Amino acid sequence: MTGTTYSTEIMSSSGKTVRDMSDGGVVINYRPSLVNPPASKRYYFYLMAPALILLALITLYPFFWLIYMSLHKVDLGGSGDTWNDFKNWTRLARDMKFLGGWWLLAKYSFYCMLFEVLLGIMIAVILDNSRFEKVLVTIFLMPMMMAPVIAGLVWYYLYNSTFGWYHWIMQSLGILGDKSILGDVSTAMTAVVLVDVWQWTPLIVLITLAGLKRVPRDQLEANMVDGAGAIRNFFQITLPNTYPFLLIAILLRFMDNFRFIDALMVLTGGGPANSTKILPTYLFDVSFVFFKLGRGAAIALTLLIVTIILGMILVKVFQSPSASTSQGGE
Amino acid sequence: MASHEVVQYRSTIRSAINVFTFVFLMVFLIWTVLPFIIMFVSSFKNLLEAFNLPEKGDWASVISVFFDFEPTAIHYRELFTERNFATYFFNSIVSSGGSALISVVLGAMAAYSLSRIDFRGKNHVFFWVISTRMAPVVAVMVPLYTIFRGLDLIGTLPGLILAYTTFNLPFAIWILKGFFDNIPYAIEEAAMVDGHTRLGAFREILPLAAPGIGAFLVLCILFSWNDFLFASIIGSGGAKTLPVATRELVTPTSIQWGKIMAAGVITSVPMTFLGLLIRKYLVTGLTMGAVKE
Repeated sequence: MTGTTYSTEIMSSSGKTVRDMSDGGVVINYRPSLVNPPASKRYYFYLMAPALILLALITLYPFFWLIYMSLHKVDLGGSGDTWNDFKNWTRLARDMKFLGGWWLLAKYSFYCMLFEVLLGIMIAVILDNSRFEKVLVTIFLMPMMMAPVIAGLVWYYLYNSTFGWYHWIMQSLGILGDKSILGDVSTAMTAVVLVDVWQWTPLIVLITLAGLKRVPRDQLEANMVDGAGAIRNFFQITLPNTYPFLLIAILLRFMDNFRFIDALMVLTGGGPANSTKILPTYLFDVSFVFFKLGRGAAIALTLLIVTIILGMILVKVFQSPSASTSQGGE
Repeated sequence: MASHEVVQYRSTIRSAINVFTFVFLMVFLIWTVLPFIIMFVSSFKNLLEAFNLPEKGDWASVISVFFDFEPTAIHYRELFTERNFATYFFNSIVSSGGSALISVVLGAMAAYSLSRIDFRGKNHVFFWVISTRMAPVVAVMVPLYTIFRGLDLIGTLPGLILAYTTFNLPFAIWILKGFFDNIPYAIEEAAMVDGHTRLGAFREILPLAAPGIGAFLVLCILFSWNDFLFASIIGSGGAKTLPVATRELVTPTSIQWGKIMAAGVITSVPMTFLGLLIRKYLVTGLTMGAVKE
C-alpha cells in the first residue's frame, strides 16, 4: 500500500482512540506496530461486501422495480406490463381516497403524537422522582413487546359493544351513548389513536427519562438560587435540555405511524365510512385487495418520498452536537 | 436533591401535588396492565363466561363478575390439536430467528468495517442503510411481492426470512456500527502486536461486543416475530406465523374470543420475557442508537 492511505488510516484510528479515552489521555507520537502491515482498505471492503450486496438486492433493486411499476399497468397474469402514459400518477390527483388518506394520516399521526408526548413527559417527570422507578418502568415496557396485531385484537375485544369491558366502562361513566366505539364515525379515529397511545407512550417515557437523567443538576440549582420555582425550572432548564431526546422520540414515532398499520387493520380496517383509512391502509387495499399494483406503486412512492424526507431530518438530529452529547455515554 | 429541599416549605401544595401524581401514576399503571390482565384471564374462560358483563353502571360487582369462571385450558389445547399452532410457532421461530441470524452476522461484519475505515460517500451509504430501515412496510411490500412472485418465494419460509431481512439488516448495521465505534482500535492493535492477523484481531474484540450483539439479535427476533403485514402477504399459505394465525381466528361468522386471547398469550409471552432480558439495550435499540440509558 502507498504511504498516503497508510497515514490517513492511522490518523483516523488514533483519532478515535483519543476521543474514547475518557480520562483525557492523549496519544502523542503515535506509531503503528510494524509486525503487521497496515491492512489495505480492500480487507474492510471484503468484510462489508456481503451485507451491502444483500441489502442492495432486497432494497435497491425493489426500489427501481417500484419506479418501473408505477409507470406501467402491472399484470400478474403473464401477459406482461404495459406502458400507460403516467396514468397511475395523473389519476392520483383526482383520487379522493388518496388525498383523504394523506389528510387522515396527518391527523392520526398528530393526535398520536400529541397524546403520547404530553402523557410521556408527565409520566417521565413523575417517575424520575419516584422510588419505584425501576419496577414501574419494567411494567410500562410490556405493551411495546406485544405484537401490534395482537394489541389490535385485544382492544377490538375491549371495545366490543356487547361484551367489551372498555365499552362497558365508558357507558357506565356516561361518556358514550348507545354508540359502538369502532362502528361510529365520530369515535373510531379516537379509538385507534388510543391503542397507539397505549402501546407506544412507554417509548416516549423511556426516551424522556434518559434525557432527564442528563439534565445538569448545577444548572437547576443555579436557577433556583435565582428564585425559580419547580415549574419555571422545568420550562427553563429541564425542557431545553431534554429537547433533543424528545425530537428524536417524535420523529421515530412519526415514521412508525407510517410504517405500521397492523393494529389499525384489525380494529377498523379503515372503516367506518373510510374515517380511519389512513394512506398506508388505502395503499394496502389498492395493492393487495384489488391488486392494482401499478397504482399501488405510485402511492407507495409518494409515501416513501415523505418518509425519506423525515429520515433526512432525523439523521440531521442524530448527528447534531446537542444530540451527540447523549451518544458519548457515561 | 436540592429541588425538594427548597420547595418543601409550601407543604400543602406539595402534598396536593403528591396526591395528584400518585393518582395519575396509578391510573396510568392500570391503563397499561388492564388489557394484559383481561387477555390473560379471558383465555381461561369458556365462551359464555367471556361474554359476561355486569349491569350498566354496576361498579360494585365488577370484580365478582370478572372473576366468576371455571378456569379451563381448552382453548390452549385446541389451538395445538385442531389449529396447527405448533407449526405456526415453528414458522415464527424459524423465520424470525433465521432473519435475525443472517442480519446480525452479516451486519456485524459490515458494521465493524464501516466503523474502522473512512471512504468517500460513506455518509451516503449510511443514509441509504437507515432509510431502508425507515421505509413503510406496505410500500416495501408492493415491489417485493411482485419480485417474490416471479421467484416463487411467496408462501415460503426463505421468502419470509428475506422479507424480514429488509428491515433487520439495516437495523443491525446501523446499531452495531455505533457499538463498534465505542471499542477502541488500540485493542485490535495490541492483538496484532501479539501476532494475530487482522481477522484474528477482529475475533479478539468480539467478546467485548458479544453482549451487545446478543441483545440486538434478540431485538431483531422481536421485530420480525411481531410482524403481521409481511407474514400475511409474503408468508400467506405455506409460511403462516403466529400473528397471522391469530388474526385468522376472526372470521365473519364467528369470533372465537377464548382462542384469540389464548393465541395472544402464546404470541406475546415469549417476547415479553425476551424484551425484559435485554432491558439494558432496549432503549438504544428502539431509538436506532440515538439514545442510551
